[in-house]
Amino acid sequence: MSTDMKMAFRNIWRSPVRTILTLSAIAFAAIILVFMVSFQLGSYEIMVNSSVKIYTGHIRIQAEGYREKRNMRFVISSPERIAKTVEKIEEIKSYSFRANGFSLVSSENRARGVLVTGIDPEGEAEISTISGLIRKGEYLAPGDRDKVLIGRLLARNLKVGINDELTILGQGKDGSIAAGIVTVKGIFSSGIDDFDRSTVQVPLSYFNDLFYMDGAVHEIVCTADSLFDVNKIKRLLKANLSEKKQKKVVVLDWKELLPGLVQGIQLDLASAAIFYFILVLVVAFSILNTFLMAILERTKEFGVMLALGVKPNRLFKLVLMESSFLTLTGVITGVVVGCAITFWFQTHGIDLAGASEILKEYGMSGIVYPKLSIVSALAGPLLVFVITICAALYPAFKVKKLVPVDAIRSI
Amino acid sequence: MYFQLAWRNIWRNPRRTFVIISAVVIGVWSMVFLSAFSHGMLASMLDNGKSVLIGDIQIHNKKYRIDPSIDNSMDNPDKIRAVLDKTLPQGAVLTERIKVSTYVSNARHSTGAVLVGIDPENEKKISFLGKSITKGEYLDKKDMRGILVGKALLEKFDTAIGKKLIIMARDKKGKVASKAFRIRGVFNAEMEATEKQFLFITMTGARKLLNMEKGISEISIVLNSEPMVEKTAAEIKNRLDTELFAVETWKDLLPMLKAYVEIFNGFMYIWYVVVFVAMGFGIVNTSLMAVFERVREFGLLRALGLKPWPVIRSVLTESIFILLIGIIAGNLLGYVSVLLMKDNGLDLAMFGKGSEFFGMSRVIYPILTMFDVMNVNLVIFFLGAVVSLYPAFRASRITPVEAMRQ
Amino acid sequence: MYRYKLILSITAIACVFVLMSGQKISAAKDNSGADISGLGSAIVKQAFDYYRGVASISVAEMTIHRAEWERTMKIKAWTRGVHDSLFKIISPAKDKGNGTLKKGDEMWTFNPKVNRTIKLPPSMMSQAWMGSDFSNNDLAKSDTIVKDYTHSVTDVKEKDGLKIFFIESIPHPDAPVVWGMLHFKVREDGIMLSQGFYDEDKILVKELVTTDIKMMGGKLFPAVWKISKQDEKQEYTTIKYLELEFKDSLPSRIFTRAGLKKKIR
Repeated sequence: MSTDMKMAFRNIWRSPVRTILTLSAIAFAAIILVFMVSFQLGSYEIMVNSSVKIYTGHIRIQAEGYREKRNMRFVISSPERIAKTVEKIEEIKSYSFRANGFSLVSSENRARGVLVTGIDPEGEAEISTISGLIRKGEYLAPGDRDKVLIGRLLARNLKVGINDELTILGQGKDGSIAAGIVTVKGIFSSGIDDFDRSTVQVPLSYFNDLFYMDGAVHEIVCTADSLFDVNKIKRLLKANLSEKKQKKVVVLDWKELLPGLVQGIQLDLASAAIFYFILVLVVAFSILNTFLMAILERTKEFGVMLALGVKPNRLFKLVLMESSFLTLTGVITGVVVGCAITFWFQTHGIDLAGASEILKEYGMSGIVYPKLSIVSALAGPLLVFVITICAALYPAFKVKKLVPVDAIRSI
Repeated sequence: MYFQLAWRNIWRNPRRTFVIISAVVIGVWSMVFLSAFSHGMLASMLDNGKSVLIGDIQIHNKKYRIDPSIDNSMDNPDKIRAVLDKTLPQGAVLTERIKVSTYVSNARHSTGAVLVGIDPENEKKISFLGKSITKGEYLDKKDMRGILVGKALLEKFDTAIGKKLIIMARDKKGKVASKAFRIRGVFNAEMEATEKQFLFITMTGARKLLNMEKGISEISIVLNSEPMVEKTAAEIKNRLDTELFAVETWKDLLPMLKAYVEIFNGFMYIWYVVVFVAMGFGIVNTSLMAVFERVREFGLLRALGLKPWPVIRSVLTESIFILLIGIIAGNLLGYVSVLLMKDNGLDLAMFGKGSEFFGMSRVIYPILTMFDVMNVNLVIFFLGAVVSLYPAFRASRITPVEAMRQ
Repeated sequence: MYRYKLILSITAIACVFVLMSGQKISAAKDNSGADISGLGSAIVKQAFDYYRGVASISVAEMTIHRAEWERTMKIKAWTRGVHDSLFKIISPAKDKGNGTLKKGDEMWTFNPKVNRTIKLPPSMMSQAWMGSDFSNNDLAKSDTIVKDYTHSVTDVKEKDGLKIFFIESIPHPDAPVVWGMLHFKVREDGIMLSQGFYDEDKILVKELVTTDIKMMGGKLFPAVWKISKQDEKQEYTTIKYLELEFKDSLPSRIFTRAGLKKKIR
């Protein structure tokens, strides 16, 4: 340890109360930021997952052009082959096939044009929360044929209840007329009005026969354990699917499927950034003041040192070293304690009691689990470190400009 | 007497005092600003949510919310108007609308949309539409053929102002009615979905198209104070036949927004505490240092036989003076910074580009309310006084011996 | 959410068939001698009236063509006036017996497999039925086409000894039509050779062309009707008449829901 470092270290501990308070302020800011950023990321994950899991899925594989044109004929003709690739990717938690046909769905005296979706009841229950949002009746069972699930608002519009009949009239993949009579088995409410107003789900096997699909599907919907896996999955899927020279398929992730959600998160991050910035500013001022006072207190001392021939630059270095050391200790303490606290909540969850009832109604748990990651653990503390160091520069420059005689004379 | 003493004391070393004051100022400023900012954010979120044809209170035919078709309109609104005349508080504005789903087409495109017949004068006062016409003109009350379309729809249909849209709808008698309308103006909305979903024509134009005599689909009411909403809604419910009509507030109509507002408010209180703690460290630290600087003085006072209490009192009084000065300056600074952003707002686009999902504007206009300012100041003053207790105690416990050692 | 065109079956060509069930050849001369725009109206009216009549029974083959796909159906149609029409699919076998009944503004469709008759909501009626390129909006009735547009003769040419009138039709400002302009080519005997549909910028959107004019049901009639989109040359729909018979009247029971359900021979 060099002399300067030793000196700086000793100086810091000359006034333990002050040092501890300063350290605490820095550590406190770092802790709050680690926790808040983790909390935010955790709540975004919940938000995204609950949106994604109602219906959208994290990743969808579709025939090229299907998303834009919604043409019945743009199919994945041999979904099992792609499923083999999908199964090889560990990060994909579950996947399911879907097929869609725009149809006229009518009850005894009402008719509506809606999207009829063929789902595999077992697979779908893994990737979508609809099975848990059934308000009346039951979810589809694996052996079901001419049974449907319909949205609450559509059920109201068509004036149907459980076990009522609906007629589906649409056009099959080959252009021929698709018609069938089904009975309502379950009515769901997702909380997304658009979805509840325009969705009818039938078993995929029944859809396949009704719409002459020949085993083809329109989408393979996949979900991941964590949002952080999505990019990797997408990359792997793209690489593997092009390798096998599959007929042109595209891989879409949730960001492409729900662009509004991504934008919402960006906006929330932006406003949160303002909150954090102000917090850091307040802390920085506290610290600036502390350093400033410390320098004022030691003006005489610095004056003596200067008079003894210590170069102003060395003094500057010394003061800066003191503050850097303090800041670094504070930040590191903050990261460690912040991570520990966050980790505890990550395993136990935080109940947003006030809102949980509404959230619960729509299948969200209302319990947020902060998500600790490298970014959330370091981004905030880094900001604290940089701003605090900047705050420390001002008093240090002041020291550099001291004139020995004046300094010694000061109180 | 000790007020004077304290006042003189704090100016004995102005540099030191300024440093402590600045800590308070920055704390007060940040909290005033944050409260204004978050208030502005919430207000914009609420406004955006409510202004897209919601308002504070809505009245419909009871069957309308289940099945929003022309069959479930309110065919004799005179009775409701009479009730509203009696119940609405001063400053309330209401507008009537006809809302039906239609099919709109031009030569190349067609889509389903919601056609809204409006009273242009009142609609302007209540909903987003009045301030959202970016191209062309707003509707004139007598305009029978004019239509307002959203920017997204305009682009999707590849059309322009002055061109035709053919509207097709089921009229009151169940027949298919179709008419040509000319695009008079284009509106922008916070959400693209809104721009694609709604088309606006005049009430008279809508009545003509739909063969309606005097029926309406909904009444939307905006009050000038939030606390009145529930009360007014309850009063309207009392006087209307609730078997026939549904009276709902924005909280019933936008439950997710309501939940978000509640979470957000809770979060704000927590955040006040967090910022205060951050500021508190600075205050304690600097006042403590000020106390240590004056060790000799306090030691002398004690040696002269002064009891601990007067020392506490004098240090505390000094802190409170400093707090007060800081609070005044901080409020002024907060007020000025809010004022500076009054016209242009704070554009969040520099951080992130989207806003649709939360229904929040990209640009936030801070709103300073008396309530928030009082809250912030009271919190800072009391907590500030509480944290100043420690340095004051510390000062009272300085013994002459300790002072001599310095 | 997912709004794309419902591609049901038979209903689409309703209008085409209605237009085609012509009977008496109204003499063009009755209306000639008027000013130039009057002449235009008269020719358009004559052309539409040529196909319009009291009643008809026909069998036609409709082919919908897309770049990667094609489908052909055989349809039998009964029409009476402009209000009543009934269509039934004869082939492919899978779809046999599916039918649509149109009475004025109302429309029903019947499917034998589920044995249900469904009344179509108005929002669906206005769409391009059956995935063909024909739609209800395009093929107006003669009374509305004369009323909604100003027709003027822009050119007259002669081919095979018959005059061909080139007519430009501009809609009245408030007319509920999506088009900005129509172009007709009408032969002097009243047979329409083509109809072009333009948007408000006077750019061609789609075009109907008739060919193979021959004696059918007692008068000259174009047996092949082809409508194609201008943007996508690969997309078109053709209707080829196999049988056509004009009648003075058809019994009302044909145009009922019972008639819609009745099995086709």
